Amino acid sequence: MIVNAVGFGALVKREMVRTFSIINQVIWPPVIQTLLYVFVFGLALGSRIKTVQGVSYAQFLIPGLIMMQVIDQTYSESSSSVFQGRFMNSIQELLVAPLSAVEIVLGYVVAGVIRAVFIAALITALGVFFVHIAPANWALYLLTIVLVAILFTALGIVFGLLAEKFDHIAVLTTFFITPLVFVGGVFTSTQFLPPLVRRISQVNPMFHMIGAFRYSYTGTGDAPLGVSLLVVAVLTAAALATALTMTARGYKLRT
Amino acid sequence: MREPALRVDRLVKRYGDFTAVDGISFDVAEGEFFGLLGPNGAGKTTTINAIVGLARITSGAISLFGYDVEREWRAARRTVGIAPQEYNFDRYLNIRDVLIYQAGYYGLSGPDVARRADELLARFDLTSKAKQVYTRLSGGMKRRLTLARALIHRPRLLILDEPTAGVDVELRLELWSLLRELNGGGTTIILTTHYLEEAEELCDRIAIINAGRIAALEDTHSLVGESSLQDVFLELTRR
Repeated sequence: MIVNAVGFGALVKREMVRTFSIINQVIWPPVIQTLLYVFVFGLALGSRIKTVQGVSYAQFLIPGLIMMQVIDQTYSESSSSVFQGRFMNSIQELLVAPLSAVEIVLGYVVAGVIRAVFIAALITALGVFFVHIAPANWALYLLTIVLVAILFTALGIVFGLLAEKFDHIAVLTTFFITPLVFVGGVFTSTQFLPPLVRRISQVNPMFHMIGAFRYSYTGTGDAPLGVSLLVVAVLTAAALATALTMTARGYKLRT
Repeated sequence: MREPALRVDRLVKRYGDFTAVDGISFDVAEGEFFGLLGPNGAGKTTTINAIVGLARITSGAISLFGYDVEREWRAARRTVGIAPQEYNFDRYLNIRDVLIYQAGYYGLSGPDVARRADELLARFDLTSKAKQVYTRLSGGMKRRLTLARALIHRPRLLILDEPTAGVDVELRLELWSLLRELNGGGTTIILTTHYLEEAEELCDRIAIINAGRIAALEDTHSLVGESSLQDVFLELTRR
């Protein structure tokens, strides 16, 4: 599957160099945003809410915020890296080299997963420090982050290939990711929503991502864990297959 | 019998209804300095892109040192280095890392690669800029970096797309000297250029492409004859 392991590794490393050279754009914003959410919503407003799913509101908030930042950062970083590579033609460095589509896509994906785990770890540490909550099930914590990071890195590749200008890669974030994340249970349990909205939430993929991840903290959720993980796994496989197919066909990469 | 460095066999490349390359065939022998000339839109860059894998072939075949560029693409790509006309360097890496990462994409790593990168930086007079990103370089330095990057994996065939476009006379002469030295060392070179005197000066053989077809393919002296390359070029490419 990976024949040119050195080339694959070089791409992963290159993506990490890119991440840390724009650290004020990639790493610190999710951390600072999370801190603000925790202080304003979790500690200030949340003090008026007794408990949600058996934990304080601030503690309930942390896993949702981690998942929100993982989704947002993995998508925006991979889509902008691919699009910028196309726009500046620097992606040709990969295309003329003996690297397969699988090696290129997995290079971006593995870098996306490392980035996601790093951001999640920072926010998790904030959760431990400020609201005294840590994951109870580390295996589920990692599994969910990895699956979601693969899904949104792959989607980032797809939209990085589809986009004709930078504005296009914001379409998915503005019209789908952000609204679906906000109504997907980051800030509130769907149990508090009207029955109709609760039923609609079941088809919101973000509801399942956030729900599965919150299980790793609280051990409970709004949907069965197996169903949520299955939804995430199927979507991840579909996104990865699409990114691989488009790259292998040279969609907007090779003329 | 020894395989040619490059064999282009009835290459056709279409974009929808437009035929950019219309069934061209030619060989480039190992060690040759070969010129690919033609007016804008003649099909030179499309042909080069098909050779290095940036364009998909509609029909026909291309092989590099006997390796088919589609079926044996990994082996084929290891044999060739391209210096494109435009500067498409990674803007997040300093120029030393541009070379080291490019070597990495070709599957090369370790102290040998770092040494090779330093050698190339020295050879192209870029050592003092090793830790800078390419946007800080002058036009001439960027041009030299393009060549250094193309050579990092020690390709047997070097393809140069307008290597001296936009550089001053002094640097052009310096690049000519470097290219002669490389070719003298055994590297096969394919050059596209709009500077006809450059092709006349450097190339053993020249192909002139016009409207996707080969209009002439001869050794430089026979092609030019008693005339000048400019006269021959204009005669063959007049529409």
